[in-house]
Amino acid sequence: MKRLNRWLVGLVWIGTSAMHAQGLLDELNAVTEAPTLPVRATFKDTRIVNVQSNETPAEGVLHFVIAHRFGTLSSGAYDLWGLDNAQMRMAFDYGITDGLAVGVARNTYQKTYEANVKARLLRQKTGPEAFPLSVTWYSVAMANGSRVAPEETPYPFTRRLSYVHQAVVARKMSERWSLALVPSFVHRNFVQESGEAHDLALLGVGGRCKLAPRFSVNGEYHHFLTQSFGDAFSPSLSLGVDIETGGHVFQLHITNARGMFERSFLAEPAGSWANGDLYFGFNLSRVFTVKS
Amino acid sequence: MKNPIFDSLLVLLFVGFASDAGAQQFMTREGHVHFFSSTPIEDIEADNRQMSGLLDALTGEFAFQVQMRAFHFEKALMEEHFNESYVESEAFPKATFTGRIVSWERIPNDGQRHDVVAEGEFDIHGVTQPQRIEGTVQWMDGAWKLKANFEATLADHNIVIPTVVKDNISPVIAIDVEAQLLPR
Repeated sequence: MKRLNRWLVGLVWIGTSAMHAQGLLDELNAVTEAPTLPVRATFKDTRIVNVQSNETPAEGVLHFVIAHRFGTLSSGAYDLWGLDNAQMRMAFDYGITDGLAVGVARNTYQKTYEANVKARLLRQKTGPEAFPLSVTWYSVAMANGSRVAPEETPYPFTRRLSYVHQAVVARKMSERWSLALVPSFVHRNFVQESGEAHDLALLGVGGRCKLAPRFSVNGEYHHFLTQSFGDAFSPSLSLGVDIETGGHVFQLHITNARGMFERSFLAEPAGSWANGDLYFGFNLSRVFTVKS
Repeated sequence: MKNPIFDSLLVLLFVGFASDAGAQQFMTREGHVHFFSSTPIEDIEADNRQMSGLLDALTGEFAFQVQMRAFHFEKALMEEHFNESYVESEAFPKATFTGRIVSWERIPNDGQRHDVVAEGEFDIHGVTQPQRIEGTVQWMDGAWKLKANFEATLADHNIVIPTVVKDNISPVIAIDVEAQLLPR
């Protein structure tokens, strides 16, 4: 019995000296709180596909986006499945602070100009002062720059304007999954058809599934809460992938909305998935640190 | 009455206390870690001033840890890529270094700076490697001041740099650590 005792004591000694450094680490963990940290990279870019994500360019960062939407995939081999008919959007967004950005853009479609502001109101956080959601506000004014023939309806500047206001409510559910709910309000000063609504409300849902550190699959859908008139437009539905390479993000997607500004893809998506009126497109973004 | 089991429990208790009761622990919550990657194309550096650490002044054993997400870079995108793609801080939120300062019992608390060697386990990105670090310790104003710099090889810790940015990120990262540990 005495021998067993000694043996036990010896065992304990060996155990404690080997485990001591690990014990210090456990002790350290017990007395240090994890700091409260903001959740970053809920989405890879400032857009999910068409719609805004909760991300804004960082302070002093110029975020430049070139986006294309090609013709319908159903247009066949002669038009190389739409690749011959490109619509372009060129945009510059600048981060005034980490949570406030302003931007301008120009679209081929209806020669539309945009001015926008994006502000982070709430930020998802982890740690002792955790917060479950990010809420980002986005407002954009759009101006149709197309010329009209003198004999057509008078088309003064105010009629060319439309506005969209959105709240992007996003949550990074896990490293893999991020979700966003995006209620949108659209106002058009001028509508094409009489009886068409000037104001529209939509509820969008978007998300991403990050399959690899630099690759994710994204999707978004915008449900009409109020109808324009009848059922002239089918709701906007887009699916795509994000590929990240250093300072660039490539977003490749298929969508039934050809326009890349909010009024167009929310209120007036050009095609329908059921009819196969789908457009292939991409957003290519690049960030420049202007001020560090 | 002799009860061998009771005896060994008593000894066990005593041993447990002996190794801790006499130990005076020193601690920090605001140690500074700085790392530097230098290539002809780009220099990348980051700071973390929230390193926490414990030093057992009796044995010279220590444990340090940093939250990966608390590293700050000059460019926001660097910080995002660091967390998202390289150290994967969601899955591996902390880096730790645990071990012992060699010949700790021979280091006098005389206010002078003394060269030391620390040996231990360096864990980053979920991969633990034995690491030997040269540095200095100094007893000053009732605190232990620790300083060290060392190098870590990304590949040793399974941190993969994609080919497109191979020229921007050094495969070996220089790390500086500085901390002042006060009695607990």
